[in-house]
Amino acid sequence: MALTLTCPICGKRNGYEFRYGGEDKGSRPDEKGLSPADWCDYVHMNTCTAGVQKEWWFHRDGCGAWFSTYRNTLSNLEVDRPEDST
Amino acid sequence: MTDIQRYSPVTFESSVKESEVRDNWKIVLAYQNEGPGPWLVDLGHKTRWDLQDSQIDDPSQSGLSVPSSPGTCFLAEKKLINRMNRTQTAIWHLGIEETIIPDFNGFTDVTESTVFLALFGPDAFHVAEKLTALDLMDPARTTPFLLQGPLCHVPCQIVILERHADMSGGFIMTCSRGYADSMVQAVLDSGREFGLRPAGETRFADWVRKVQNQTSN
Repeated sequence: MALTLTCPICGKRNGYEFRYGGEDKGSRPDEKGLSPADWCDYVHMNTCTAGVQKEWWFHRDGCGAWFSTYRNTLSNLEVDRPEDST
Repeated sequence: MTDIQRYSPVTFESSVKESEVRDNWKIVLAYQNEGPGPWLVDLGHKTRWDLQDSQIDDPSQSGLSVPSSPGTCFLAEKKLINRMNRTQTAIWHLGIEETIIPDFNGFTDVTESTVFLALFGPDAFHVAEKLTALDLMDPARTTPFLLQGPLCHVPCQIVILERHADMSGGFIMTCSRGYADSMVQAVLDSGREFGLRPAGETRFADWVRKVQNQTSN
Protein backbone atom coordinates (compact mmCIF):
# COMPACT_ATOMS: atom_id res chain seq x y z
CA MET A 1 0.00 0.00 0.00
CA ALA A 2 1.27 3.47 -0.84
CA LEU A 3 2.22 5.76 2.03
CA THR A 4 -0.08 8.65 2.84
CA LEU A 5 0.80 11.40 5.31
CA THR A 6 -1.30 13.96 7.13
CA CYS A 7 0.00 17.48 6.61
CA PRO A 8 -1.18 19.81 9.42
CA ILE A 9 -2.19 22.40 6.80
CA CYS A 10 -3.32 20.42 3.75
CA GLY A 11 -4.62 17.23 5.37
CA LYS A 12 -4.09 13.64 4.22
CA ARG A 13 -2.06 13.47 1.00
CA ASN A 14 -0.12 11.06 -1.19
CA GLY A 15 3.31 10.27 0.27
CA TYR A 16 4.99 11.21 -2.99
CA GLU A 17 4.21 14.86 -2.25
CA PHE A 18 6.57 14.80 0.74
CA ARG A 19 10.28 14.71 1.42
CA TYR A 20 11.57 12.68 4.34
CA GLY A 21 13.46 14.77 6.91
CA GLY A 22 14.92 12.07 9.13
CA GLU A 23 14.13 10.85 12.61
CA ASP A 24 12.78 13.40 15.05
CA LYS A 25 15.48 13.30 17.72
CA GLY A 26 14.05 16.02 19.89
CA SER A 27 15.33 19.53 20.40
CA ARG A 28 18.85 20.56 19.46
CA PRO A 29 21.30 19.86 22.35
CA ASP A 30 22.54 22.79 24.43
CA GLU A 31 25.81 24.00 22.92
CA LYS A 32 27.29 24.77 26.33
CA GLY A 33 29.64 21.92 27.17
CA LEU A 34 28.65 19.97 24.07
CA SER A 35 31.49 17.70 22.96
CA PRO A 36 32.17 17.05 19.26
CA ALA A 37 31.36 13.40 19.83
CA ASP A 38 27.96 14.21 21.32
CA TRP A 39 27.19 16.63 18.47
CA CYS A 40 28.25 14.00 15.92
CA ASP A 41 25.95 11.49 17.59
CA TYR A 42 23.03 13.94 17.51
CA VAL A 43 23.52 14.74 13.84
CA HIS A 44 24.45 11.36 12.40
CA MET A 45 23.38 8.54 14.69
CA ASN A 46 19.87 7.14 14.20
CA THR A 47 17.89 4.56 16.08
CA CYS A 48 16.46 2.96 12.91
CA THR A 49 13.47 1.66 14.84
CA ALA A 50 11.74 -1.44 13.51
CA GLY A 51 8.27 -0.25 14.46
CA VAL A 52 6.77 3.13 15.26
CA GLN A 53 9.12 6.10 15.14
CA LYS A 54 8.70 9.88 15.14
CA GLU A 55 9.91 11.50 11.93
CA TRP A 56 10.27 14.88 10.22
CA TRP A 57 8.55 15.37 6.88
CA PHE A 58 8.46 18.31 4.44
CA HIS A 59 5.40 18.98 2.26
CA ARG A 60 7.52 19.65 -0.82
CA ASP A 61 4.75 19.64 -3.47
CA GLY A 62 2.23 21.39 -1.23
CA CYS A 63 2.29 24.09 1.40
CA GLY A 64 6.01 23.92 2.19
CA ALA A 65 5.48 23.12 5.88
CA TRP A 66 7.83 21.00 8.01
CA PHE A 67 6.09 18.80 10.54
CA SER A 68 6.69 15.63 12.54
CA THR A 69 4.52 12.57 12.55
CA TYR A 70 4.66 8.90 13.52
CA ARG A 71 5.21 6.09 11.02
CA ASN A 72 5.40 2.34 11.48
CA THR A 73 8.54 1.42 9.57
CA LEU A 74 7.47 -2.22 9.30
CA SER A 75 4.18 -1.49 7.52
CA ASN A 76 5.23 1.92 6.06
CA LEU A 77 1.97 3.45 7.32
CA GLU A 78 1.42 6.63 9.26
CA VAL A 79 0.07 5.86 12.74
CA ASP A 80 -1.35 7.76 15.69
CA ARG A 81 1.01 9.01 18.35
CA PRO A 82 1.79 6.08 20.69
CA GLU A 83 0.47 6.58 24.19
CA ASP A 84 3.84 5.96 25.82
CA SER A 85 5.70 8.54 23.69
CA THR A 86 6.79 11.86 25.17
CA MET B 1 16.50 53.76 -25.01
CA THR B 2 14.72 50.67 -26.23
CA ASP B 3 11.86 49.41 -24.12
CA ILE B 4 12.16 45.94 -22.70
CA GLN B 5 9.67 43.30 -23.82
CA ARG B 6 8.10 40.95 -21.32
CA TYR B 7 6.82 37.57 -22.45
CA SER B 8 4.33 35.27 -20.84
CA PRO B 9 5.50 31.64 -20.81
CA VAL B 10 2.06 30.71 -22.19
CA THR B 11 1.03 30.94 -25.83
CA PHE B 12 -2.29 29.88 -27.35
CA GLU B 13 -2.77 28.92 -30.98
CA SER B 14 -6.11 30.73 -31.30
CA SER B 15 -6.33 33.86 -33.47
CA VAL B 16 -6.14 37.12 -31.57
CA LYS B 17 -9.15 39.41 -31.95
CA GLU B 18 -8.02 42.29 -29.74
CA SER B 19 -4.78 43.02 -27.88
CA GLU B 20 -2.84 45.83 -26.27
CA VAL B 21 0.62 46.54 -24.88
CA ARG B 22 0.68 47.36 -21.19
CA ASP B 23 3.77 47.70 -19.00
CA ASN B 24 5.84 46.07 -21.78
CA TRP B 25 3.56 43.00 -21.93
CA LYS B 26 1.59 42.18 -25.06
CA ILE B 27 -1.80 41.28 -23.61
CA VAL B 28 -4.59 39.54 -25.48
CA LEU B 29 -7.95 41.07 -24.56
CA ALA B 30 -10.03 38.69 -26.69
CA TYR B 31 -9.56 35.75 -29.03
CA GLN B 32 -11.64 34.88 -32.06
CA ASN B 33 -14.31 32.29 -31.36
CA GLU B 34 -13.93 31.97 -27.59
CA GLY B 35 -17.05 29.82 -27.48
CA PRO B 36 -19.63 29.40 -24.71
CA GLY B 37 -17.11 28.19 -22.14
CA PRO B 38 -15.35 26.89 -20.19
CA TRP B 39 -12.40 29.19 -20.82
CA LEU B 40 -8.67 29.17 -20.11
CA VAL B 41 -7.05 32.59 -19.68
CA ASP B 42 -3.34 33.39 -19.52
CA LEU B 43 -2.71 35.84 -16.68
CA GLY B 44 1.09 35.78 -16.89
CA HIS B 45 1.26 39.59 -16.95
CA LYS B 46 -0.61 40.03 -13.65
CA THR B 47 1.70 41.08 -10.81
CA ARG B 48 2.40 38.41 -8.17
CA TRP B 49 4.29 38.95 -4.95
CA ASP B 50 5.61 36.50 -2.42
CA LEU B 51 5.74 37.63 1.21
CA GLN B 52 7.89 35.69 3.68
CA ASP B 53 8.47 36.80 7.23
CA SER B 54 8.38 35.35 10.73
CA GLN B 55 6.10 38.25 11.82
CA ILE B 56 3.69 37.80 8.91
CA ASP B 57 0.63 38.27 11.13
CA ASP B 58 1.76 41.74 12.17
CA PRO B 59 0.49 44.26 9.57
CA SER B 60 2.74 46.98 10.99
CA GLN B 61 5.74 45.04 9.65
CA SER B 62 4.63 44.35 6.08
CA GLY B 63 1.84 46.89 5.69
CA LEU B 64 -0.50 44.10 4.68
CA SER B 65 -3.26 42.26 6.53
CA VAL B 66 -2.98 38.57 5.74
CA PRO B 67 -5.46 35.77 6.54
CA SER B 68 -4.70 34.20 9.89
CA SER B 69 -4.81 30.52 8.95
CA PRO B 70 -3.01 28.72 6.08
CA GLY B 71 -5.26 27.80 3.17
CA THR B 72 -7.52 30.84 3.56
CA CYS B 73 -7.68 33.86 1.23
CA PHE B 74 -8.85 37.47 1.10
CA LEU B 75 -10.25 38.89 -2.14
CA ALA B 76 -10.71 42.65 -2.08
CA GLU B 77 -10.12 45.48 -4.54
CA LYS B 78 -9.02 42.99 -7.22
CA LYS B 79 -6.20 41.77 -4.95
CA LEU B 80 -6.08 38.18 -3.76
CA ILE B 81 -4.05 37.42 -0.61
CA ASN B 82 -3.41 33.72 0.00
CA ARG B 83 -1.96 32.44 3.27
CA MET B 84 0.30 29.51 2.34
CA ASN B 85 1.87 28.42 5.62
CA ARG B 86 3.12 29.79 8.94
CA THR B 87 5.56 32.23 7.38
CA GLN B 88 4.50 32.72 3.74
CA THR B 89 1.76 34.49 1.81
CA ALA B 90 1.13 34.94 -1.92
CA ILE B 91 -0.35 38.21 -3.21
CA TRP B 92 -1.93 38.15 -6.67
CA HIS B 93 -3.10 41.36 -8.36
CA LEU B 94 -6.06 40.58 -10.59
CA GLY B 95 -6.78 44.10 -11.88
CA ILE B 96 -4.99 46.19 -14.48
CA GLU B 97 -3.85 48.98 -12.18
CA GLU B 98 -0.13 49.64 -11.83
CA THR B 99 1.32 48.14 -8.65
CA ILE B 100 4.26 49.27 -6.51
CA ILE B 101 5.92 46.68 -4.32
CA PRO B 102 6.02 47.75 -0.65
CA ASP B 103 9.33 48.85 0.83
CA PHE B 104 9.71 45.81 3.07
CA ASN B 105 12.38 43.17 2.57
CA GLY B 106 9.95 40.25 3.01
CA PHE B 107 8.41 40.93 -0.43
CA THR B 108 9.67 39.33 -3.66
CA ASP B 109 8.16 40.00 -7.09
CA VAL B 110 7.61 36.55 -8.63
CA THR B 111 5.58 37.69 -11.65
CA GLU B 112 8.05 36.42 -14.23
CA SER B 113 8.96 33.19 -12.48
CA THR B 114 5.58 31.49 -12.56
CA VAL B 115 2.75 30.45 -14.88
CA PHE B 116 -0.57 32.11 -14.00
CA LEU B 117 -3.78 30.69 -15.48
CA ALA B 118 -7.52 30.96 -14.88
CA LEU B 119 -9.96 28.18 -15.76
CA PHE B 120 -13.61 29.12 -15.37
CA GLY B 121 -17.07 28.79 -16.82
CA PRO B 122 -19.49 25.89 -17.23
CA ASP B 123 -17.98 22.45 -16.52
CA ALA B 124 -14.76 24.03 -15.19
CA PHE B 125 -14.57 21.48 -12.37
CA HIS B 126 -15.30 18.58 -14.71
CA VAL B 127 -12.10 19.58 -16.49
CA ALA B 128 -10.26 19.98 -13.18
CA GLU B 129 -11.13 16.56 -11.86
CA LYS B 130 -9.44 15.00 -14.89
CA LEU B 131 -6.24 16.82 -13.92
CA THR B 132 -5.91 16.53 -10.16
CA ALA B 133 -6.85 14.36 -7.19
CA LEU B 134 -7.20 17.47 -5.02
CA ASP B 135 -10.74 18.03 -3.75
CA LEU B 136 -11.60 21.37 -5.33
CA MET B 137 -15.26 20.89 -4.36
CA ASP B 138 -14.52 20.18 -0.67
CA PRO B 139 -17.77 21.21 1.08
CA ALA B 140 -15.86 22.02 4.28
CA ARG B 141 -14.16 25.00 2.60
CA THR B 142 -15.65 28.39 1.77
CA THR B 143 -14.61 30.27 -1.38
CA PRO B 144 -12.16 31.78 -1.95
CA PHE B 145 -9.75 29.17 -0.60
CA LEU B 146 -6.26 27.95 -1.41
CA LEU B 147 -5.16 24.40 -2.23
CA GLN B 148 -1.49 23.58 -2.61
CA GLY B 149 -0.61 20.35 -4.37
CA PRO B 150 -0.19 18.61 -7.71
CA LEU B 151 -2.25 19.40 -10.79
CA CYS B 152 -1.04 17.43 -13.84
CA HIS B 153 1.59 16.11 -11.35
CA VAL B 154 3.04 19.64 -11.08
CA PRO B 155 3.16 21.40 -7.68
CA CYS B 156 0.63 24.24 -7.93
CA GLN B 157 -1.13 26.87 -5.88
CA ILE B 158 -4.83 26.80 -6.75
CA VAL B 159 -7.41 29.30 -5.53
CA ILE B 160 -11.04 28.36 -6.00
CA LEU B 161 -12.98 31.60 -6.51
CA GLU B 162 -16.40 30.30 -7.42
CA ARG B 163 -18.05 26.87 -7.56
CA HIS B 164 -21.53 25.48 -8.00
CA ALA B 165 -23.14 22.06 -7.71
CA ASP B 166 -23.33 21.73 -11.52
CA MET B 167 -19.48 21.85 -11.57
CA SER B 168 -19.42 25.38 -13.00
CA GLY B 169 -17.40 28.21 -11.46
CA GLY B 170 -13.67 28.55 -11.67
CA PHE B 171 -10.23 28.79 -10.18
CA ILE B 172 -6.89 30.44 -10.79
CA MET B 173 -3.55 28.74 -10.40
CA THR B 174 0.20 29.19 -10.53
CA CYS B 175 3.13 26.85 -10.99
CA SER B 176 6.78 27.19 -11.98
CA ARG B 177 7.33 28.94 -15.32
CA GLY B 178 9.09 26.01 -16.96
CA TYR B 179 5.93 23.89 -16.91
CA ALA B 180 3.96 26.36 -19.05
CA ASP B 181 3.87 24.56 -22.40
CA SER B 182 3.10 21.10 -21.08
CA MET B 183 0.62 22.43 -18.52
CA VAL B 184 -1.39 24.35 -21.13
CA GLN B 185 -1.32 21.40 -23.51
CA ALA B 186 -2.57 19.02 -20.79
CA VAL B 187 -5.32 21.38 -19.61
CA LEU B 188 -6.61 22.15 -23.12
CA ASP B 189 -6.48 18.48 -24.08
CA SER B 190 -8.44 17.49 -20.95
CA GLY B 191 -11.00 20.22 -21.58
CA ARG B 192 -11.58 19.51 -25.25
CA GLU B 193 -14.60 17.27 -24.59
CA PHE B 194 -16.20 20.12 -22.58
CA GLY B 195 -15.44 22.81 -25.17
CA LEU B 196 -12.58 24.46 -23.26
CA ARG B 197 -11.09 27.28 -25.31
CA PRO B 198 -8.56 30.08 -24.72
CA ALA B 199 -10.05 33.44 -23.79
CA GLY B 200 -8.72 36.96 -23.35
CA GLU B 201 -8.29 39.19 -20.35
CA THR B 202 -11.63 40.96 -20.83
CA ARG B 203 -13.60 37.80 -20.14
CA PHE B 204 -11.50 37.13 -17.03
CA ALA B 205 -12.03 40.70 -15.77
CA ASP B 206 -15.81 40.31 -16.17
CA TRP B 207 -15.74 37.07 -14.20
CA VAL B 208 -13.62 38.50 -11.35
CA ARG B 209 -15.94 41.51 -11.13
CA LYS B 210 -18.91 39.16 -10.81
CA VAL B 211 -17.17 37.01 -8.17
CA GLN B 212 -16.10 40.04 -6.17
CA ASN B 213 -19.64 41.43 -6.20
CA GLN B 214 -20.97 38.09 -4.94
CA THR B 215 -18.31 37.98 -2.20
CA SER B 216 -19.03 41.50 -0.99
CA ASN B 217 -22.81 40.98 -0.99
